[in-house]
Amino acid sequence: MKVQKGILALVGVLTLAACGAETGAANTASGGEGGGAKGGSLVWAVETQPVTFNPQQWGQNKARLLVHNQFDALVARGKDGEFLPWLATSWEVSKDGLTYTFQLRKDVTFHDGEKFDAASVKANLDQLVAPGYNAAVAGIQLRNFSSAEVTDPYTLKVTLKAPDALFLDFLSSPYAGQVSPKSLKTAKDLKAGGPDLVGTGPFILDRFTPGQEVHYRRNPAYNWAPPNAAHQGPAYLEEITYRFLPEAAVRVGALTSGQVQVIEGVPATELGLLKADSSVKVETSLNSGSAFSYYFNISHPPFDDKRVREAFRDAVDVDTVLNSVYQGTAKRAWSIVGQGSPQFYDASLENTYGNNAQRANKLLDEAGWSKRDAEGFRVKDGKRLTVRSIESAPYVRDRRDVLAQAVQAAVKQSVGIDFQPKVVDQGTQQKALQDDQYELFQNSRGDTDAGAALNLILPKGAAINRTHYENAELDKLLAEASTTSDLAKRKEIYAKVQRIVVTDEALLLPLYVPADQVAYGAGVTGITFEPVSGTPNSAYDVRTGT
Amino acid sequence: MSTLTLTRRRGLAAAGWIGPVVRRLGAGLVVLWVAATAAYVALLLVPGDTVDVLIADGVDTPQRRAQIITEWGLDRPIPHQYGDYLLRLLHGDLGRSYVLQRDVAEILSSQIWPTVRLALTAAAFGVVIALVLALTTAGRRSWTTGLAGFSELTAASIPPFLAGLLLLAVFSFTLGWFPVSGDRGFASLVLPALALGLQIAGALGQVLREGLERALEEPFAVTARSRGITEWRLVARHALRHALLPAVTLTGWFVGVLLGGAIVVEAVFGRPGLGQITLGAVTGKDMPVVMAVIMFAAAIYVTVSTLVDLAYLAIDPRLRRSR
Repeated sequence: MKVQKGILALVGVLTLAACGAETGAANTASGGEGGGAKGGSLVWAVETQPVTFNPQQWGQNKARLLVHNQFDALVARGKDGEFLPWLATSWEVSKDGLTYTFQLRKDVTFHDGEKFDAASVKANLDQLVAPGYNAAVAGIQLRNFSSAEVTDPYTLKVTLKAPDALFLDFLSSPYAGQVSPKSLKTAKDLKAGGPDLVGTGPFILDRFTPGQEVHYRRNPAYNWAPPNAAHQGPAYLEEITYRFLPEAAVRVGALTSGQVQVIEGVPATELGLLKADSSVKVETSLNSGSAFSYYFNISHPPFDDKRVREAFRDAVDVDTVLNSVYQGTAKRAWSIVGQGSPQFYDASLENTYGNNAQRANKLLDEAGWSKRDAEGFRVKDGKRLTVRSIESAPYVRDRRDVLAQAVQAAVKQSVGIDFQPKVVDQGTQQKALQDDQYELFQNSRGDTDAGAALNLILPKGAAINRTHYENAELDKLLAEASTTSDLAKRKEIYAKVQRIVVTDEALLLPLYVPADQVAYGAGVTGITFEPVSGTPNSAYDVRTGT
Repeated sequence: MSTLTLTRRRGLAAAGWIGPVVRRLGAGLVVLWVAATAAYVALLLVPGDTVDVLIADGVDTPQRRAQIITEWGLDRPIPHQYGDYLLRLLHGDLGRSYVLQRDVAEILSSQIWPTVRLALTAAAFGVVIALVLALTTAGRRSWTTGLAGFSELTAASIPPFLAGLLLLAVFSFTLGWFPVSGDRGFASLVLPALALGLQIAGALGQVLREGLERALEEPFAVTARSRGITEWRLVARHALRHALLPAVTLTGWFVGVLLGGAIVVEAVFGRPGLGQITLGAVTGKDMPVVMAVIMFAAAIYVTVSTLVDLAYLAIDPRLRRSR
């Protein structure tokens, strides 16, 4: 016994000594880089290769997790959606909501050694509205932007043409990632970005191999993380590689065999498998914006009749359908606003409709679709109750095509509606939309502010108002919500909006809330999600080893 | 034989070459022209406005639209536009991708080497595996022949996508011998090249073995055997030459397999290359890139089949006169 204890003690001492040596070595290794931060590297497999690394040209939600490695925004978001200082330490808004005065951090430098100051923020804003640069941002997010004025080296005054509740939201978005004005002029390919278009972020992009990977190394000078980050100072990781692996099964295999440490985009079919593996952690985060929904086109029969819209909605047992397609991993949606936008989500709509085939059949009988043809589909005046949905292939993700087939079977079986979901190329879809040759369209929007999504879908003549629904009162409510910055008041208005479109008008069938999944192996910590958008955070707080 | 007759013979031989060579080069150019025209017709036939089609998901501004209209001459009659398009192609101008904001030629040339490397390695794997299988099993009429035949059939029938996933599952995820992805040295090339080369190995192996077996039944084989030659020498030295001819004919098909399969294999293994560019261009509806890829594939086909045809001429002098 005694001998054994002795050995144990010895082993213990040796282990301790070894540990000490290791930490000592790690300290000296990272000592040169300052901050005493831990070193290490990490490989993160992602589904999508970004079209651009220029944050001002950003447009893919799937690429959002890369942006803040390289670029910092002026404003950060807290977990309840509140605005926090980042590169801007404080800001004042004039009473009329037209003037924003920003105080900026004085200790920030870009990766190319340029100083960050008010002039660089102005250069960024001016670049965004430059003709032919980013028409979408200039026309939508910055439509109210008038001018920016440098009042002293670290104070910037921004003037708007009209009050805009979404302006601060814009300044916290990837578009507002601050780019070195020098590199805006010298970058070889400005719109594509890359190693020569630099920001102030915790990592420096130093290598991009198209079709393979993008590699970042730590920015040792970084000392301006937002207050809600888990730490301050330089990032923990010395380097990080994002590898592009579009095939989901390959990403999962690469993770379970330890060839990558983190993967993004875990398909529902693999979620169960990964959850069973105790060495792998899976985290899911609901995306902000609008829920994935089927919107009804009310410009022509059959959905010009509200009873038919309600019937379609009641004919589907959404829970069963989602379970069969996503094996219990999808979050059911109840409103046009998803649960990923809790600031505006109206939970009182839950369980107010749906899964009532009896009522659906009654409504359809009343609406005149009482006869059935040989195949069991309802007919009226010799025309079958057909619902066409024309989707463009690149936008079909999350097995939405399979989901459509499940809905197709459900509405056929329960009420005799002939639902025809088609996946086509973009040109064909555009033509179908122009010619109004569809009865239903599928959509979800990943905007950080759900209001931005509603503004695109609901008002008369809005960019994706494909329901052709018009309601002056609703438009007024939406406009009001966009100009007020009082969060409680906005929530109240958006609750009204949701009640109008979901309950009163039955304009859509909300299905599920899009979500991001991240899975990572043992020893990886600090994987978090952006509080408002629900997409994975940058690698700033991530570390490996214990 | 005098020097004069020798020279004349050489002259005649050269003359015999010129006709077929010119004919084949001409035919190649016609194929390229047809491919260019087909790509152009496809652009016109895609539903939607041609400017919309060309711009796809690129930045859409009035200035950009005006620029595209001038670049493609869309404000002029279609025959005129088509003429301009051919003229630009002749100058080697493949146009500009409005999605990626770069010249198409630059995009293709930056991604061509990883694909060429993958295709050549896959071809080498395919040929070596086929040769080994055929040489070791041909004419043996034993269970090994049956097994080889069966595995060739399997290899030829498995699509590269599935082959890639299976190879990854075994050799990367389970055994950990090879990395899963990327373009980092030879180790990362083995699995993708195998996934791509297996189909070639299967089909080529079948053709080779059939050729070998047919050759082994010919009278010259009997003669050779009567000289006391070993069976191995007979197969490797004599029968193989006969069996190679039909196999060479397959080269054209095999280039197609390599080009098409590269798209899938590059995506599965996360490798850079033309396949990724093509996939991205097709899903992103980047028509200028898609059209350039069509032209590129046609050019490869034409080059390879012209070379193969010319190789026949070199191998078999009879063909120079008969065609």
